[in-house]
Amino acid sequence: MVQSHLAFLPILIPLTGAMIALLLGRSRSLQAVWTLGTMLAALASSTWLLAVVWRSGQPVVFQSGGWAAPFGISVIGDLLAAVFVVMSQLVLATGVLYAIGSKDSVVRYPTFYPLYLMLATSLSGAILTGDLFNMYVFAELLVISGTVLTAASDDRYGTEAAYKYFYISLLASFFMLLAVGCLYVSYGTLNMADLARRIAADSGGQLLQPAIGFLMATFMVKSAVFPFHFWQPDFHTAAPTAVSAMLSSVVVKLGVYGFLRMTTLLFLPQAATIRSLLLALGVVGVVFGGLSAIGTHNAKRMLAYSTLAQVGFILVGIGWGTPLAIAAAIVFAFNHSLIKAGMLMLAGYVASRASVKSASFDVVTGLGRSIPAAGVLFFVGSLGLAGIPPTNGFISKMFLFRSGIDGAEFGSLALIGVGSILTLLYTMRAFQRIWWQDPPEGAKAKPVGDLLVAPFILIGLVLVLGLWAEPLVQVAADTSVWLGNPAGYIQAVMGG
Amino acid sequence: MELLTAIAIGVLFAIGVFQLLRRNIIRSAIGLIILANAVNLFLLSTGAYVSIEPAYVSDTTDILSDALPQALILTAIVISMGGTAFVLSMLYIISARYKTSDMDEVDGLKN
Repeated sequence: MVQSHLAFLPILIPLTGAMIALLLGRSRSLQAVWTLGTMLAALASSTWLLAVVWRSGQPVVFQSGGWAAPFGISVIGDLLAAVFVVMSQLVLATGVLYAIGSKDSVVRYPTFYPLYLMLATSLSGAILTGDLFNMYVFAELLVISGTVLTAASDDRYGTEAAYKYFYISLLASFFMLLAVGCLYVSYGTLNMADLARRIAADSGGQLLQPAIGFLMATFMVKSAVFPFHFWQPDFHTAAPTAVSAMLSSVVVKLGVYGFLRMTTLLFLPQAATIRSLLLALGVVGVVFGGLSAIGTHNAKRMLAYSTLAQVGFILVGIGWGTPLAIAAAIVFAFNHSLIKAGMLMLAGYVASRASVKSASFDVVTGLGRSIPAAGVLFFVGSLGLAGIPPTNGFISKMFLFRSGIDGAEFGSLALIGVGSILTLLYTMRAFQRIWWQDPPEGAKAKPVGDLLVAPFILIGLVLVLGLWAEPLVQVAADTSVWLGNPAGYIQAVMGG
Repeated sequence: MELLTAIAIGVLFAIGVFQLLRRNIIRSAIGLIILANAVNLFLLSTGAYVSIEPAYVSDTTDILSDALPQALILTAIVISMGGTAFVLSMLYIISARYKTSDMDEVDGLKN
């Protein structure tokens, strides 16, 4: 075990940055530069954490306040948490870049950047914490900062979408609290490593089954998994572009992270049941999300439905549950975050140049003629989303399909194959509407709009990770090996 | 006493869920508040019946009751208070915009 404050830095840096950014509210440019600096520092610290964890082969554990594991709150950077934190901070840093170049009026509010940094704090906190109640607190913080940012959106219906989402996720938080209560009364602890040890020793706790159900419901709402998805398209369409790119890419990954922890650490005796449920929901999500995305008339909404399908792919990977499939799910989650954030920023970029600020196909048809650079990026992003080389989407899809063939899961494999074809259909339709069709009479792109820097970086990374996929695949494979050994995790946290 | 608490919490849950599903948005917000209290009472009951002796009182020989659920509730109360305040403020904006409290008439997102 490596005892170090390093595991705490990805939470501490954005938190401190948010407090100071609040004080800088009078000067917008200074606040923006400060926020960018903070996010880059947080990204550097989480990359450092990943490097330390990966090279030493040991989780970095920080026992806050010096209290030993089951009594204090442990902050645990194991390989899974480190990969997810690096992914989140990377995408969140590009989100700041997009916000700086954005013409939205919401980014001019003095509290926009502090709230954005709270989003980063709570996301890394929820991933790194080793305590279930602490995770609830961070998840709630995540919901509140995301909702406030959306409620203040330029979109007319931002408040309604935010209300709908907040209502549902407040209910999800109640479910999580109920799960916390059930687990505490059955096992007398909330530390995840300690809980895992006690549940493995005695899986007959009276309230264990309800606790699993409540936690499943919580993470399904967080990830917008099929029957609990209805808030997601509205919420992700109405949010300001810089925020919706984050919500639809990294914030939905919190539920994925929760599912991975549930099936590989917390509820090992029940993991097979949870996996079969996730597999079924994932397949339904892939097909349903793809069909819904084809039926939409708005580029942002199409991408929001596409998230539903892509999260479905990840759940299918977790549902298969072989080491190879879990590695594939992690690669898929990482790559999808980059692609989806880049694509949503491009949709927002196009919308910012339309006559009315909307990504609706009626408004943006033919606008692409005067912005060919964005068209190239959107095309590459579409290839990534559909899984065509030379993008990282190809790597993740190939990895996932190979793990399915190894596990001889041909039924679900055929269904998600259909889902992949749907992806190609809807992204190419959007590309054709915006960049190929003739614009209607009198419609012209505005000369000024959002900047293309952030999507350029993200789509660049999509290409780089497609051509040089070795390190990411290697990290994911190692993570999967770690997840197959929960005893190592428990020992690192509890000591002895 | 345990049975009575259990029934009370169950009834609170039932009322909360019933109110939550009403069409009137103000009633459904009240349902949310009732539900929050039901969850907090449930959390309280997880630590209540080991012993009734309060923790951190020195001159006692009995088994002390568990203080952790109370600390959890304290946190949960603060969070749900903030959440409720935010829900009500959004509710205010929405009902001012649509001049109604009927959920079916708040239809801006349908298009």
